[in-house]
Amino acid sequence: MNTSAEVIKQTSNAIPLIEVKNCTMEFPGVKALDNVNFTLMPGECHALVGENGAGKSTLSKCITGEYRMTQGELYIEGKRIRNSNYTIRESQSLGISIVHQEFQLMNEMTGLENVFLGRYETKSGFIDWKALQKKIEELKDFLEVDVNFNIPVKYLRTAEKQIVQLARALVNDSKVIIFDELTAVLQEKDIQNIFRIINVLKKRGIGIIYISHRLDEVFECCDSYTVLCDGKHINSGKVADIDKPQLIRMIIGRELTQAYPQINNKIGDTLLEIRDFTAPKAFRDVNLCLREGEVIGIAGLVGAGKTELVQAIFGNHELIKGKILLRGKEVKIKNPRHAIKLGIGFVPDERRMLGLNMLFDIKDNTTLPTMAMFRKYKIFQDKKAEAKAAYDINKKLNLNYYSLWQKVSKLSGGNQQKIVIAKWMLRNCDIFLMDEPTRGIDIGAKFEIYSLINELTKQGKGIIMVSPEMEELIGLCHRIYVMYEGVVMDVVEGERKTQEVIINSLLGVKENV
Amino acid sequence: MFELDYKEKTKRYSGGIKSFLSDWMILILFIALVTICMLTMSKFRDPKNLFNIIRQASFIAIISMGEFFVILTGNMDMSISSIIGMVSIFFAGLVVTMGLPVWLAVLIVILMSIIVGIINGVLTVIGKMPSFIATLVVMNIIRGFNFIYSGGLPISGLPEGFNFLGAGYVGVVPFPMILMFIIAIILYVFTTQTSLGRSFYAVGGNYEASKLSGINVQFVGILAFVICAVLTSIGALGLTSKTLAGNIALGDELLFDVMTIVVLGGTSLMGGRGRIFGVVIGALFLQVISNVMVLMSIATPWQWVVKGIILVTVVLIDSNTKRD
Repeated sequence: MNTSAEVIKQTSNAIPLIEVKNCTMEFPGVKALDNVNFTLMPGECHALVGENGAGKSTLSKCITGEYRMTQGELYIEGKRIRNSNYTIRESQSLGISIVHQEFQLMNEMTGLENVFLGRYETKSGFIDWKALQKKIEELKDFLEVDVNFNIPVKYLRTAEKQIVQLARALVNDSKVIIFDELTAVLQEKDIQNIFRIINVLKKRGIGIIYISHRLDEVFECCDSYTVLCDGKHINSGKVADIDKPQLIRMIIGRELTQAYPQINNKIGDTLLEIRDFTAPKAFRDVNLCLREGEVIGIAGLVGAGKTELVQAIFGNHELIKGKILLRGKEVKIKNPRHAIKLGIGFVPDERRMLGLNMLFDIKDNTTLPTMAMFRKYKIFQDKKAEAKAAYDINKKLNLNYYSLWQKVSKLSGGNQQKIVIAKWMLRNCDIFLMDEPTRGIDIGAKFEIYSLINELTKQGKGIIMVSPEMEELIGLCHRIYVMYEGVVMDVVEGERKTQEVIINSLLGVKENV
Repeated sequence: MFELDYKEKTKRYSGGIKSFLSDWMILILFIALVTICMLTMSKFRDPKNLFNIIRQASFIAIISMGEFFVILTGNMDMSISSIIGMVSIFFAGLVVTMGLPVWLAVLIVILMSIIVGIINGVLTVIGKMPSFIATLVVMNIIRGFNFIYSGGLPISGLPEGFNFLGAGYVGVVPFPMILMFIIAIILYVFTTQTSLGRSFYAVGGNYEASKLSGINVQFVGILAFVICAVLTSIGALGLTSKTLAGNIALGDELLFDVMTIVVLGGTSLMGGRGRIFGVVIGALFLQVISNVMVLMSIATPWQWVVKGIILVTVVLIDSNTKRD
């Protein structure tokens, strides 16, 4: 940290790497950015924070040239960029790279090929693999990482794939690297590794724009911050000058008194019981039970079988053994359609790929599982009733939109997630399976989802929730099942609900009791 | 306050003039094309010629509406050309050679096409084969059976009355045109006003999300192929009735036209997007162009070239328009 501060001092008279002045970005019907200013100095890690839809990604897309700002000026290393024909290609040649949490890698190619794709060094017309291999070794030394670049990237872990993406950005001689919610899908250990790499990059004088919903990270690795709210510029400054509550207040414009709602204590009868659930290569001998009004959590590292487990309950993953008892009666769930008929709703982890139909509007997405209930004369769709129902449920969820006929693709992550939950509430499900319901959404929206989950439990619904965030599970769940390599290592409840206990089981360490 | 908010948010909003233009591009082009032809060509504006265009477009439009469903769900049915041949030759065989009544023969060939549709659907949806390959294989197999059954020769001698389907008139209006519009209206209502119809859009737009939302994706996927096969056989019967003879080569050149029409009508080849009336207009559009080329006595090979250019242009536009 010390060295990076020095770099900043040295370069305080330096020309900013990026300067955005009075940037306004308009989409049909929405002003996504309104007169925003932003400055990035060399060797600085600049946090860009704000709620979903605050305009963070829009701003970063204006910088990378994916969008062209409606109004405003962009300077890169002091040079005015002509807005009219600024493209991604140009921004890349000026040394701006973006690393997404979603991968833009060729899965079948090796890390090495991915890194040098389109920039192969050749010797008499052939690719000079030796030279490339040497370069990669240098990069690995520089980043101090140990990732195998010689196997297809599909075999790499999430964190390792991100390293490959980073390496690609570095080969590109980037001066500015945008980290777009990179850590949202990472485990704690890997996040620390990213921080270490950020420090290495800062020493090189590379400027980093750090977009994240996890505010602790901002305090851990960023030098300065810019807060956006509803597309407006709220504040910028040094991270050292503020504390977390101040930052939260700036982001949501209100005081966050209690992050988690009071856990519901009105527990009813057993809703769902699972016995000896086993699926090859995913999980084995899993037992769990869920009662009315309960939230149970499933914790585990990537590859622990969490997603497969909830998918299997929803009838979307093949089992070789296991029983499901629904209100004490044994059922065999054949497919998702069957599960839904039995009153189970599923909020998948990848809402863009699995949760929503991006070609559909808000109304059609909200009523997708319930379409058949809105009928006139038994066969025709009653569109008025459908719209009314969609309107009512989305009002309850406080969805931010301007028309039910708006496409969902342009909504923010938090609002999209509300629609995915809304469709199951409209279906009046008794059991909600939620796979990482707060992935990649901001604090304000997270809080709303938490109170929503709480509200559902008060109505006697049961919720099974998968999450990589321990804090969230501890704050919301009655019981936490901790999985390690497909096996439930521990069931944590009551006073044992602490991070230490959970971490031990996550890593497969048995307690010596 | 509540009322106001409700009204505001349930008001259908249009995406502005730009999206209106891109949505109805084909209609605008069609009107422009017809207007120009009406003004410049006296042979074209002859009412007899106009009715002729619609009559010729009718059966191809019906077949295209079938293909529309398959493309809407993100698949492709290449087997329609040999389904047309199959319906034509077996229908003629059943009626002429075996002496069955027309209604029974119609029933049998439609049943046959339903079976072919189910095979296509099962291979693609349950067998998870790429639809292009699955239907190409089915196309060749059926073509083989068509040859085996007929020896490659046409079967003529269908009863005169059957001619009504393809060449009859109700008053002054050609019967095929009425049939086309009735089918189009039924399918329009089906796709826009029923939940099953909407499911085709859902499945084409996002298969996995639809599955997880409880839509019977396999049923919908297979049904698309069945609808395609049935509409194709209706179209094939119409085409057969014009010549009163069964011919296995009847559909050989139609696959290309049908694909052009479906895409011309604004159906996305990626699935999830399209309209029935777009397909009808697409069929009329292509027929007008063919008609004009005939009136200008352009040779058939050149007509292929022109149609090819049209298809390339439309697919290029479709692939390069940014979709949100």
